[in-house]
Amino acid sequence: MSTLVTSVKAPAIDASQREQLESAWRNKPGIAEWFSVTTHQAIGKRYIVTAFIFLLLGGIEALFMRLQLAAPENTLLGPVRYNQMFTMHGTTMMFLFAVPVMEGMGVYLVPLMLGTRNVAFPRLNAFGYWIYLAGGLLLYGAALTNTLPDAGWFAYPPLSGPNFSPGKGVDVWAQMITFTEISAMCVAVELIVTILRMRAPGMSLNRMPMFCWSMLVQSFMIIFAMPAVMVASTVFLLNDRTIGTHFVNPAEGGDPLLYQHLFWFFGHPEVYIIFLPALGMISSILETHSRRGVFGYPALVLSLVGNGFVAFGLWVHHMFATGLPQIGEAYFTAASMMIAITSGVQIFCWLATLWTGRLQLTAAMHFIFGFIFIFVIGGMTGVMLASIPLDLQVHDTYFVVAHFHYVLIGGALFPLFGAFHYWFPKFTGRMIDEKLGKIAFWILFFGFNLTFFPMHIAGLHGMTRRIYTYAAEMGWGQTNLLATAGAITIAFGGVIFIVNVLRSLSRGARADSNPWEAGTLEWAADSPPANYNFVNLPLITARYPLWTERSERGIVVGMRNDRREVLITTLMDAEPHHRSVLPGSSIWPFLTALGFSIGLVGSVAAFYWYYIASVLGMIGLIGWFWPRQPLDIKP
Amino acid sequence: MMCLIEGSLFCMLIAIYFYLRLGVDVWPPPGVQLPDVFLPTIALIPLIASCAGSYWASDAAKRGDRNGMILGMTLNLVLAIIFLVFRAFEWKSLNFTWASDAHGSIFWAILFLHTYDVIADLLMTAVLTFAVVTGRAGQKQRIGVHVDSVIWYFLVGIWLPLYVVLYWGPHFAGAPQ
Repeated sequence: MSTLVTSVKAPAIDASQREQLESAWRNKPGIAEWFSVTTHQAIGKRYIVTAFIFLLLGGIEALFMRLQLAAPENTLLGPVRYNQMFTMHGTTMMFLFAVPVMEGMGVYLVPLMLGTRNVAFPRLNAFGYWIYLAGGLLLYGAALTNTLPDAGWFAYPPLSGPNFSPGKGVDVWAQMITFTEISAMCVAVELIVTILRMRAPGMSLNRMPMFCWSMLVQSFMIIFAMPAVMVASTVFLLNDRTIGTHFVNPAEGGDPLLYQHLFWFFGHPEVYIIFLPALGMISSILETHSRRGVFGYPALVLSLVGNGFVAFGLWVHHMFATGLPQIGEAYFTAASMMIAITSGVQIFCWLATLWTGRLQLTAAMHFIFGFIFIFVIGGMTGVMLASIPLDLQVHDTYFVVAHFHYVLIGGALFPLFGAFHYWFPKFTGRMIDEKLGKIAFWILFFGFNLTFFPMHIAGLHGMTRRIYTYAAEMGWGQTNLLATAGAITIAFGGVIFIVNVLRSLSRGARADSNPWEAGTLEWAADSPPANYNFVNLPLITARYPLWTERSERGIVVGMRNDRREVLITTLMDAEPHHRSVLPGSSIWPFLTALGFSIGLVGSVAAFYWYYIASVLGMIGLIGWFWPRQPLDIKP
Repeated sequence: MMCLIEGSLFCMLIAIYFYLRLGVDVWPPPGVQLPDVFLPTIALIPLIASCAGSYWASDAAKRGDRNGMILGMTLNLVLAIIFLVFRAFEWKSLNFTWASDAHGSIFWAILFLHTYDVIADLLMTAVLTFAVVTGRAGQKQRIGVHVDSVIWYFLVGIWLPLYVVLYWGPHFAGAPQ
C-alpha cells in the first residue's frame, strides 16, 4: 500500500485525468451491459424510479378504496376486491415503495456526500435492486393470475392461515416479503461499510452529514429488524400453509400471538426505518435553506441513535388489545411515550435552525413546513394511542388509520417530496419548476388534511378499519365523502407533481453543480454527477466543506485513475488507510438474482423449489466470485 | 455483517423456541421421544476440530502460503463432512417431523436452517479449494479464504447454544411444571 499525499492547494483539473476516469468508470452501451451496471448513481436512480411507479400503483389502489367508501352501501368493489385492495395498498406502500425509495436515495446520495466514488459493494448493490424488482413483479404478476393476497398488509394468522385463506394469494405475499427484505439487507450492509470506511479523509464521524448519520442508524435497524419478519412470513406463515408446520396453529401447540410479536418486532422499527432517512433529508434541506449549519448537531445525532434503540422497545403497543400482562403494557406505554422525547428534540433543533437562519422559501422548504405541521399532529395522536384505555377504545378504527397516515405521509412522504425537489438538479442536471412545485405542495397539503383529518372523527364515531361498506344509519357518510374528496385532491396534486417532473426533465433550466449554494459534498460533483463522482477526491476540514474558503479546500492526490479505485479510511477519524479497487460492471448479480427469484417464486407452489433456488443461486454466486485475471492486484 | 444478520436470526429462533415451550405444559408434547443427546454430542468432536482446519487455512492465506491453504481447507472439509454424516443419522433417528406439532416445527426449523448454512459454507470452501488448487489464488481469493474461515467459526459457535437448547433443554425443562 503506497502512502498517500494530501495536498491543500487544489490544482487545476487535468484533462487527461478526467479522460482516464471516464474510461475506467464508463458503463458500456448495450442490453447486456444495461443489466450489468454497478455504479451507484444508476442503481440509486433505478430504485427511486421503480419505487415511484409502485407509489403510483399503491395510490391508485387507495383511490379505489376511497371511491368504494364514498357513500354508504356502495357497490363499486365487492368485499373480496376491497380486501385485496387494502392488502395491496398497504403492502405496496410499505414494502415496495417506502423502504426501497429511502434505500434508493441513500444509495444515490451517500457516496456523493461522503466524497467517494461508489458504494463499498457495487455488485451486491445491483443484486439488491434486481431482487427488489423481482419481489415487486411477483406481487403484481399475481394480480394477472387473480391470486391477490387479501389478509391485510400484516396477514395475521389464523385469518391468513391455511384454513381461512385458501388459494395462493397469501403465499405470494409471504414470499414477496422475503424478496424485499433481502434487498433491504443488501443495501444496509453496503451502506454501513461505505459510511464507516469510505468517508473522505478528514471527515471524522462528527463531521458527517446528518443524512449519512440517519442512513447509518437506519441500516443497523434493518439488520436487526428484518430477520424477524422473514421468520414470521417465510418460516412461520408460508411453511404452515405449504408444508404443514404448526408454528401458529394453536391446536398443535403453536401460537398466533407469536406471529404478531415477531411481525411487530420488525413492524415497529420498520416505521423508523422509513422515517429516519426522512429526518436526514429534512436536516439537509433545512440547513441549506436557512444558510446555517443545523442547530444542535450532537443532540440531533444522539436523538437519531436514541430513536433507533427505542424503536425496538415499542412493538407491543400494536398488540395492546390482545390481552397482555399488565406489567408489559405499562412498560410499552412508557417506551411509546419516550419516543416523543427524541422526536421532540429533533423538532426543537429544526425550529431553532429556522429561527436563527435566513430563510429561503423554495418548493422543497414548503414540503418541510408541511412535514412539521402534519407530523406534529400525527405525533400527538401517537402519544394518545400510547395510553392503553384510549387505545382499547379506538383500536382498529379509522382513528388509527388517520394516525399512521399522518406520521407516515407527514413524516416520510412530505420530506421525500421535499428532498426530491431539492436534489432534482443533482439527479438530472436540470432545475425543477418552483412554481408548479409550490402549487403541487398546496394541493397535496390541502388534499392530505381533507382526506385524513375526517378519519379521526370517523374513528371516534366507531368506524372500524377494513370494512368494505357501512350502513347509512351509522352516520359516517359525510366524513367519508369528505375523505374521498380529499383523496381525489391528492390524486390531482400527484398529477401536477408528475407533470412538473416530466416537464422539468426536458425543459427545466440547466443546473450548475451547486444551485442552492449548499455546504455538503454532493454539491461539489457535477449535476448530474459523473460515474466517478469527483475528479479529485476531496479532503475535508470542516462539517460543511463547501462553506469554507476555496483556498482551504484540499484534495487527495496519489490515486490511480485508470481503474475503479477508492480510498479506504479509518472508522472514527477517517484517516487514509489504503486504496482499494472496486469491481466494474458484472452480469452475475443479475443472473444470481434471477436464479434465486425463479426458485423463490416456485417455492410458493412447492417446497422443493427452495432446493432449485439454492442450486441456481449457488451457480450464480460461483460465477460472481470466480477469480478473474489478473489475479493479484498489486497497488 | 452476515454474522450479525444470521446471529439475530438464530437468536430469534431460540427466543421462539422458549416462547412456544412456555405455552404448553409438557415439552416436548406427549408421544414425542426426548431428542437423543448421544449422537449430537459425538458430532461436536469433528465439528470443533474442523475449526483447526479453518484457522490453518486463514493463517496460511495471510502468509500467502498456497499449500497451507489447501491443506487447511481440506481438513476443514473432511471434518465437516464427518459432522454432516453424524447429523444425517441423528436426523433419521428423530421420531417426529416438522408437521407433528409446534415442538417439531421449531426443532426442524433450527436444524434445517443450520444444516443449510453448513452445507452452503462447505460448498463455498470446496469452490475456494478448487480455485486455489488450480492456481487461481490472487489477493482477493486469499481474503476469501479468510472470510470463509470467519463464517465457519460463526457457524460452529452458533451451533453450541443451539445444541444445548435443542438437545439438553427438554431434559432439564421438559417435565410438566
